[in-house]
Amino acid sequence: MDRRDFLKLAGAASAAGLAPEALWAAGQQQQHNGQRTRQRKLVLVRLKGGNDGLNTLIPQFDYEKYKSLRPTISMPHHKKKIDQRVLGDSGMSMNPYMDKLRPWWKANDMAWIQGVGYPRPILSHFESGDVWDTATNAGQSNKGWLAHILPGYQKNLHGIVLGDELGPMAGKDCYAIAMKSPEVFVSQAGLFEGAQVNTKVNNPALAHLTKIQSQVMGASDELITKMRNPRQVGQGFANSKLGRQLESVAKMIINGVSAPVYMVELDGFDTHANQVNLQNHNLSYLADALDSFATAMKRHGHWDDVLVMTYSEFGRRVAENRGGGTDHGAASVQLVMGGKVKGGVYGNKPDLHRLDEQGNLRMTTDFRKVYSTITQRWLRQRNPWAQYGTLPFV
Amino acid sequence: MNELTFGEARHLTVRTGLGAEWGSIKKLEGLPREKAIEYILNPAPSNPRPAPYLTPWNKLEPMRDAGAKTRADAWVMAQTEGQRLQGWWIEQLFRTNTPLVERMTLFWHNYFTSSLQKTLQPSLLHQQNLMLRKHALGNFRHLLRSVARDPAMLVYLDGYKNVKAEPNENFARELLELFTLGHGNYTQNDVEAAAKAFTGWGVHPRSGKFHISGEHHDGSRKLFLRRAGNFTGDDIIKILLQNPRTAERVTEKFWKAFISDINPPRQTVVQWANHFRSSNYDIKTLMRVMLNSDEFWSERFRGTLVKSPVDLLIGTIRTIPYPRENTTKMVNLCRLLGQKLFDPPNVKGWEGGDHWISTQTLLVRASYLAKISRGNLNARVKTGPHIKAKNNEEMLEWLLAVPPLNKLPETPGKRRLAHALLKDPAFQVT
Repeated sequence: MDRRDFLKLAGAASAAGLAPEALWAAGQQQQHNGQRTRQRKLVLVRLKGGNDGLNTLIPQFDYEKYKSLRPTISMPHHKKKIDQRVLGDSGMSMNPYMDKLRPWWKANDMAWIQGVGYPRPILSHFESGDVWDTATNAGQSNKGWLAHILPGYQKNLHGIVLGDELGPMAGKDCYAIAMKSPEVFVSQAGLFEGAQVNTKVNNPALAHLTKIQSQVMGASDELITKMRNPRQVGQGFANSKLGRQLESVAKMIINGVSAPVYMVELDGFDTHANQVNLQNHNLSYLADALDSFATAMKRHGHWDDVLVMTYSEFGRRVAENRGGGTDHGAASVQLVMGGKVKGGVYGNKPDLHRLDEQGNLRMTTDFRKVYSTITQRWLRQRNPWAQYGTLPFV
Repeated sequence: MNELTFGEARHLTVRTGLGAEWGSIKKLEGLPREKAIEYILNPAPSNPRPAPYLTPWNKLEPMRDAGAKTRADAWVMAQTEGQRLQGWWIEQLFRTNTPLVERMTLFWHNYFTSSLQKTLQPSLLHQQNLMLRKHALGNFRHLLRSVARDPAMLVYLDGYKNVKAEPNENFARELLELFTLGHGNYTQNDVEAAAKAFTGWGVHPRSGKFHISGEHHDGSRKLFLRRAGNFTGDDIIKILLQNPRTAERVTEKFWKAFISDINPPRQTVVQWANHFRSSNYDIKTLMRVMLNSDEFWSERFRGTLVKSPVDLLIGTIRTIPYPRENTTKMVNLCRLLGQKLFDPPNVKGWEGGDHWISTQTLLVRASYLAKISRGNLNARVKTGPHIKAKNNEEMLEWLLAVPPLNKLPETPGKRRLAHALLKDPAFQVT
């Protein structure tokens, strides 16, 4: 990590118009209501493949109908009095493989939003993923939804993706980095070692290239400085790919990396066959990793600064298929967690009796209402989705 | 009289081909400009490589209606064969003797997009590629008529669902918005009228070939762009080609592909478009006008085009014969750099220019270039590709369109210098 001549690069970076280190440190603190508050962070967990909402939050209130549509892949029936898995008076229960999260539910630090989707659902992974990433109809825009918000939130580094797609942070105005891990990124950025960044480039194509190159070098410098002698997380972490990714995120947050948004990914939710095993395992990876992450944030005093949110390109067909799985569907559920979250189950219960023509759940909460909530109530930015209203989960 | 210098020969080679091929530059150097341009415009004919096996339409399509299991199989087949098809084009781009034809085919692929992910029909995409190739330097009128009849396009823009009882406007809208007039030059009523004129144009369920169904065609009177008549699809195309905006739109795209990411002067567009239209849409004429223009040769526009992933990945190897990655890796690199062949992100195609470069793609580009050019850089060790440029000055002129931004290495050696130049931001532009 330490192998580069840091001072030389820092000089180059500030020459290119990037803020020097001192400004980054200042970016950590934001002026708000006359009080200095800590920067709010958003941690996105992308559940890739289309997570089945009905086996994540199980409609205990309409169990017979649920069981009739899913004779072989249904989750068990719980009666409220005898089983605490039923969430409050919501009539829904949480998948038993997510039990690790129950303390966070009890502490009111966790909320579910149900029936989330958009009108005229698209059932292609790629196109529906596009819809979620850009908050527009598929193909209308290449600009991620966060790219509309973050340039106003802070200058400098906007986000870090542990994966290979910038997704919601794609776009020319967004300063985001996709990486395998901070360590790999820093070593790759070493390729630009010794690069001169001319202050005066008239050619717009070259100017863009040098700008992006400075961003890479700037982010790499920040990671090198902040993580040179890092404060350790100081606890065990869920041992899965997602666990390791969230451990990296925790380490960056604890050590004051300035990016307000982090994104990680858990793949394998495209459960066309053998759904019960696949999804349960995946949900247990998710719950274990989120539990570790939340514990780490709490331990280091950051729990009130972070909002974790899961999302997926779509939910799944209500009726099971012949392979013990489900095909691509529409509305699904989202999980949010954080010290400032107001616990509860938001949105309408799923209506298993009035499905759409393809046999999918009808959405009752537009996903842009969730974006609107995060923009307005969490990041406190000008809200392009104000027309959708907000939810009081934070 | 106006003979091309080494630098000018390089410029013509790079902008019309794939990479700064030494052989091509040397062939053009010293030729009068017009003669060099004619040489580029009239390549010896050559056939594309044979395609890999791709399951025909009439086998793949019925699988989608025969239940979930075969539908899933069809999906997997389309993905696997789709990758094979991408590999086919990548190899074609690597090995072609007619780089201008490849470049133009790619240009039309980006102009008339269709994608594997929407059609899930690799064999139709291959046929479309052959069609675009055939018209690449031919006539735009014939090209447009062929596109409207192309099975992949009929699936991609839902033309095959466009029937009298239930018109589908998707193709008609893009025909007006992207392929000809451009936004703001027509109304929703024009879109509806055009859609009606194309009703019944579809893909034959058994043969997978273009087919007009009289039964589904709406032969009624239509009002289109203030003209009335019992228009067919071909009539609509004819009317669109009478509108000057169509030639201007093609010209604007030519500018962005061959001259600069900086916007063209309006006067230039109008002038070139007029030549194009009065040649009855001869693509070579437009190309000739462009290549002979002051703008094409102007220093002002040198290095103002960001290299596309194909240009960078394949053009570099065609410039210096470094050991290359295998086909699968190249397909993957194209994807990582945002140019999945046969799979543009949406109907508008790849946006190109600055959009090619993000923090993520720049790192992949830099890693790729560093990796292929690394090797042993010691000048006294005989290894690696033979570099033909004779001195540092010629190396710079050969490998870069504009002067480098970084300092040159102090240790002498052509391989070391090439490695340094490939890592320079100036190498990313052309």
